[in-house]
Amino acid sequence: MTLEMSRLFDAGLMVLLVLCALAVVRTKDLLAASIVFSAYSLVMCLVWDHRGAPDVAMTEAAVGAGVTTVLFLSAISKTVRKEK
Amino acid sequence: MIGILWDNFDYAVSVLLFLIGLYCVIAKNNLIKKFMGLNIMETSVFAFIVALGVVKGGSAPIMEPGARPPFINPIPQALILTGIVVAVSTTALALSLIVRVWRQCGTIEADELRELE
Amino acid sequence: MKRALVIVLLAIVAMPLLAAMAAMPRFGSAEQPAYTHVAKRYLERGVEEAGAENVVTGVILNYRGFDTNGEVTVIFTACAAVIAVLAGSRNRQDQREAASSVPESLVVRYVVRLLAPFIALFALYVVLFGEVSPGGGFQGGTVFGALLIVMTVAVSRNQAERLLPLRIRPWLQIAGPLSFLAVGTAGVVLTGWYLGFPQGATAATRLMLMVLEFGIGVGGATVIASIFWRLGDEA
Repeated sequence: MTLEMSRLFDAGLMVLLVLCALAVVRTKDLLAASIVFSAYSLVMCLVWDHRGAPDVAMTEAAVGAGVTTVLFLSAISKTVRKEK
Repeated sequence: MIGILWDNFDYAVSVLLFLIGLYCVIAKNNLIKKFMGLNIMETSVFAFIVALGVVKGGSAPIMEPGARPPFINPIPQALILTGIVVAVSTTALALSLIVRVWRQCGTIEADELRELE
Repeated sequence: MKRALVIVLLAIVAMPLLAAMAAMPRFGSAEQPAYTHVAKRYLERGVEEAGAENVVTGVILNYRGFDTNGEVTVIFTACAAVIAVLAGSRNRQDQREAASSVPESLVVRYVVRLLAPFIALFALYVVLFGEVSPGGGFQGGTVFGALLIVMTVAVSRNQAERLLPLRIRPWLQIAGPLSFLAVGTAGVVLTGWYLGFPQGATAATRLMLMVLEFGIGVGGATVIASIFWRLGDEA
């Protein structure tokens, strides 16, 4: 029963992942898209921690949700914010 | 069929995310957006490989006192750690190239760049 | 028209992927080939052979040290390439936008100053305890790099840059590859192979792993901060 619960939790996270990915693709505002991408990375980090990969989760939290987002924001501030 | 899908939905979601990322790379015009799509593709592949190492009821491969087998396969995790670092390197380089393109051409939309020649 | 083409292409990509998925071993089964060969040995003898309780760290630095050697070279190369790409390019006059005037927030500034030592301590902890708990050189380095970025944004760039003096910054950026070179050479002396580790969890192995973790951490932090500063430079 506990296993099933953990599977359900996994499934919820997966739904969230797909929604975040779709939101990244759909959003016209690049700034908003990068923030949603950060959320996507954070959900991915939860998924990996739940799958018994704490090392990978930690890296994803620091790199995916932190540094990659910052680099995107930095590039957007140097170029344009709106996608045509 | 439903049972197999439920047991393997981690793989199915990886495929789905890969396709979403691929769609973003192909169909979007903005170069920054394309790279967000590429990042989604990368993480989907990472998620797939991490899912390959999972063992039901396993614990993280850290041998502290009191840890009991089964342990989760450490090799995919080690490969993915390297992969994430390489992914952020490519993202950094790509974004710097995009900034450079913006400074040179004044646009980062792929079709406008094609017209500029 | 274009949309239809894209959908057809996605379907073509999806079909072999889904077909392969159907033929995969079930999720979480302990009989799959990836788990029954080399992983078994790593899990059973990893601690005494590689000298790290965290088997992932042992695999990264010891069993698969060459991979990681390549990885640190990649991030160093990326840093060098970013600096080279953005060197000497000028904004065209007509696109120069007025610098955005975000009001400085006293609260954010104060909180960042307050938290900075603790974040730095956490980064150091993640690096030093990478062998026995989740974490490792690159994770800790990234946390420290993120601290530098936060300081740049919230306090001032000069203050953040003072932590990595320009005089020694190139050496910090290449710390990862250099530490691998040093440990690799030590391996040649001790065992006869590049990046060879002495058998068993000896003091020498621990020291070599520590040097590698620290080199990766320092290199990673410096590279990340340098890339961010370079992207933020006004042309």
